Amino acid sequence: MAESRTRARPLSGTHAVLVRVAAVAVLLAIWELLVLAEFWPPAVLPGPAAVWDQLLATADAGNGQGGYAGSTVVERLGVSLRRVGYGSAYGVLLGVGLGLLMGLVPLIRAITEPFVTFLRALPPLAYLSLLVIWFGIDEEPKVYLLMVAAFPPVAVATAAAVTGVNKQYVEAAAALGASRLRVVTTVVLPASAPEILTGIRLAVGIAYSSVVAAETVNGADGIGGMVLNAQRYNQTAVVLLGLIVIGVTGLIIDSAILAVQRALSPWRGLA
Amino acid sequence: MSVSRRSVLSLFAAAPLLAACGVGGSSSSGSGERTKVRIAYQSFADSTLLLKDQRTLENALPDHDIAWTAFDSGASINTAFLGGAIDIAVIGSSPAAAALCPPLSIPYQVIELLNVIGDSEALVVRKASGVTDIKGLAGRKVAAPFSSTAHYSLLAALEQGGVDPASVTLVDLEPQNIQAAWQRGDIDGAYVWTPVLSVLQKDGLTLTDSAKLAKAGKPTLTFTVARKEFIDRNGVVIDKWLAATDAALKQINTDPKPVAEAVARQLGASVEDALSQLTQNIYLDHAQQRTPEYFGTPEAPGKLAEQLRSAAEFLKAQKKVEAVPDLATFQAALRVPRG
Repeated sequence: MAESRTRARPLSGTHAVLVRVAAVAVLLAIWELLVLAEFWPPAVLPGPAAVWDQLLATADAGNGQGGYAGSTVVERLGVSLRRVGYGSAYGVLLGVGLGLLMGLVPLIRAITEPFVTFLRALPPLAYLSLLVIWFGIDEEPKVYLLMVAAFPPVAVATAAAVTGVNKQYVEAAAALGASRLRVVTTVVLPASAPEILTGIRLAVGIAYSSVVAAETVNGADGIGGMVLNAQRYNQTAVVLLGLIVIGVTGLIIDSAILAVQRALSPWRGLA
Repeated sequence: MSVSRRSVLSLFAAAPLLAACGVGGSSSSGSGERTKVRIAYQSFADSTLLLKDQRTLENALPDHDIAWTAFDSGASINTAFLGGAIDIAVIGSSPAAAALCPPLSIPYQVIELLNVIGDSEALVVRKASGVTDIKGLAGRKVAAPFSSTAHYSLLAALEQGGVDPASVTLVDLEPQNIQAAWQRGDIDGAYVWTPVLSVLQKDGLTLTDSAKLAKAGKPTLTFTVARKEFIDRNGVVIDKWLAATDAALKQINTDPKPVAEAVARQLGASVEDALSQLTQNIYLDHAQQRTPEYFGTPEAPGKLAEQLRSAAEFLKAQKKVEAVPDLATFQAALRVPRG
């Protein structure tokens, strides 16, 4: 491998973009070739053109069914992003709060760590039924599901970051007369911000990937609901469209969080 | 890199081969000359479960490998047909109609009618909602599992009652979630099947059911379908299947208890539940199916093709199929059970 012989140099800006565009083009070409080879009927593997047509059709509110089954793909994306936004926000708040406590108070960590790990291991679909029984079929179970999915990575990352803060910083701040609260807000949190943000990045990713599960119950107005509905009627092109939309927007959100992380901790990666 | 470009490319060429690779399932190979019969069934009470329970087909065809696979919806059965993984299947009229339309156009034929859905599927409203007739549903929240026969019946009932479906909030929920939402008061009504239906009826008012809709010309049906190519090659299997189901259909009408016991064993339900589920549907033996109401005869096709086509037009209006083929296509997709 090239990396073992020479030190890997990061690609320059334009070069990186070109390489990525080329990779997407190659992927599309392979996809089109597989379709042209007709290994599977078009109902099983529709081509890129069919998916593109679906994008145009589902984005058009005036096509007789208001996009796809009542709402356009953009409206659906908005609905799903709102759910992911609320779910991730609550999850992050809960995760940072619990993570701080876990990192600062060993007793709390000892008690809550198994529970957090337990929650992490649960597939969202498994606890969705319970959330539906408890919270009904409206927005609550969906947002709570995404919250439960999003909070463990933040809690774990925050706890690890807080425990990992250089003891000398804490002691120095305490020696200078800072109260415990002040030490946490001015030393511990800023020092652990990069790792917490990594946790948040993971959490938003997990929340977004759980949106299809969250929308299995009365979520027909979301993008996940569209995928499920299309799958019921074997509309594979719409399923693919939904997956691509989720994937691409997920990529954009991730890049945005990464940009925030760079802005908040510019020293990272330079040490 | 030690892997050459050519070998990477050949990997892509091998994709279909890779798709055929095992993933740790129980797909047996090396059965030699033995013909495989792959049957898809669904977890609801019907006569085919008696065949499965009594191993009727296995005993009648000792030199065939018979594999029964459970599916939870007609759509997933259609997917399995597209992948060529299934030969014979139990499927509702809605997904069967969808399969006969483009883009799916699955080459299968309806070989018999397993039942006409009766009052095992019904439209109920919560007594507390104050709704007393279908007209009262305007502006209310009504649930049904989308793409199912119940969904079709719900829209047919609304149409019949002169209610614009757009004025009703339709909610897509699976039966068990309908029960949860009902108990919490999140929905005003639901079109659903037993056993959830029986629970809802305890504090609900039944507005209409599939038996009444069937009388009014909007029946929902359960079929056996078989791959066209399989029928052509394995006439014996189809004949044995039809003989066995015909006997089972007759038995449900004369002595349903043993059938209910078999169904209960297969579904893990109680015998009483199985019996009540069974008796809520309408069963016709093959002679009755050859009447003009249903299959008719090859010379004089019955109404079934038109009913399938009307189910397909309903799907077209929902933009779930691209086009509805002409009546001849539906007639060609019906294979009259020859008794």
